[in-house]
Amino acid sequence: MKLMTVALVAAFVSGSVVAFAAEKTISQKGRAFSESAVTVKKGDTLTFVNDDNIAHNIMSSTAGNEFNLGSQAPGASSNVTLGNAGEVAVLCAIHPRMKMSVTVTD
Amino acid sequence: MRCSSRIVLTLATAFTAMTAVAAPRLQAAEPTTGAVPRSAPASLAELKAQYRRPETIPFPKDNPYTVEKATLGKKLYFDTRLSAANLLSCAACHSPAYGWGDGQPRGIGHNMKQLGRRSPTIVNAAFGEIFMWDGRAGSLEEQALGPIRADVEMNLPIDQLLAKLKAIPEYQPLFKAAFPKDGMTPDNIAKAIATYERTVVSGRAPFDAWIEGDERAIPEEAKRGFVLFNNKGGCQNCHSGWNFTDDSFHDIGLSDADVGRGKFLPAIVKMQQAFKTPGLREITRRGPYMHDGSVATLEAVIEHYNTAGVERPSRSELIKPLALSAQEKADLVAFMKTLTSNMDPTTVPVLPR
Repeated sequence: MKLMTVALVAAFVSGSVVAFAAEKTISQKGRAFSESAVTVKKGDTLTFVNDDNIAHNIMSSTAGNEFNLGSQAPGASSNVTLGNAGEVAVLCAIHPRMKMSVTVTD
Repeated sequence: MRCSSRIVLTLATAFTAMTAVAAPRLQAAEPTTGAVPRSAPASLAELKAQYRRPETIPFPKDNPYTVEKATLGKKLYFDTRLSAANLLSCAACHSPAYGWGDGQPRGIGHNMKQLGRRSPTIVNAAFGEIFMWDGRAGSLEEQALGPIRADVEMNLPIDQLLAKLKAIPEYQPLFKAAFPKDGMTPDNIAKAIATYERTVVSGRAPFDAWIEGDERAIPEEAKRGFVLFNNKGGCQNCHSGWNFTDDSFHDIGLSDADVGRGKFLPAIVKMQQAFKTPGLREITRRGPYMHDGSVATLEAVIEHYNTAGVERPSRSELIKPLALSAQEKADLVAFMKTLTSNMDPTTVPVLPR
């Protein structure tokens, strides 16, 4: 019986992650992120769309949530899922004035 | 994030290094990015509005301005004992005598050895987003200790720096006043130097008087040059906003082999041989030009952009032949000359013993 409860809880947790995972889209027109700060839950997908007319390189070196999307051509889009709770500083390595903060919650 | 943590201070309070500046009309804590919209050409008034001087100096939340920090920072900045040989201070390569650069094609470090790149000015560093030609420092605090410990520059390991400064009695009360909690630490040395550097702001130039309405402040050819700068020349694509930089990285087609920003972004073609756009304030005092000091005069700078330099995959798409006439080249140079102010001499501090 106890085993079954544990199994049910596990199933519920994993099911809830799937059910509530959300998407947020950030655009980059005019060398600027469309939002300066967003809050997402662990497992949510952040989509960076390059609707600018030049390439960008979105990255973060915040410990635990490092990522680097590399050169992103105009018209391209890329997804990022952040795995650890906390404040994540995101910037464009080519145009460092493009920056935003992502708060990842549990 | 650094952007949201900035505080501002009036220039009148912060100035320790430069000429007094009459209050411009625009209040702005952040420099504008200032790109001219491509869809509709901007009017002259709209263009001018993109270059107005800010009224305040931004300081980061985690290192706010205090007089004590700036005073200590100035002494450290001019102190040659921050180098192993007791010969080089920060001011050796970033000197007020040369627009806060050194007037050399490339910096000169320990044992008079020539360095790989030109010493960048520290003018308006308070407004910078990222530091060094290749952007390897994210803040002035992060940058400040780099040249001290670099063996090719001041060649003084930080533990030895601390030991040297601790042996100078008159530094102790200055550190205590600036940092009552923890006194002399490597972080606090960096914070003091960074605070002083942020007070080094370019003075009001003839260009500033012109965009604020004084038509006699600059010659007609400079006014034409300003329009060319923003239109046919495309200079404002990178040299944007009041400090004339986008703080971004571009390969402008110079012929040296230095990979610049590409060292940190090896997979990005456009970042190979790309360097940070320098601002243009006090420009006539800051030659020779470019990251490698390879271009001696402003006339030669314009000629470089006119021909677009070396064509290669990494060269920015913004760099292309301009087909400027002799008059247009002269106009652009005349415009750039209006960005230099009449700077008052900087007082060299009496150093602690």
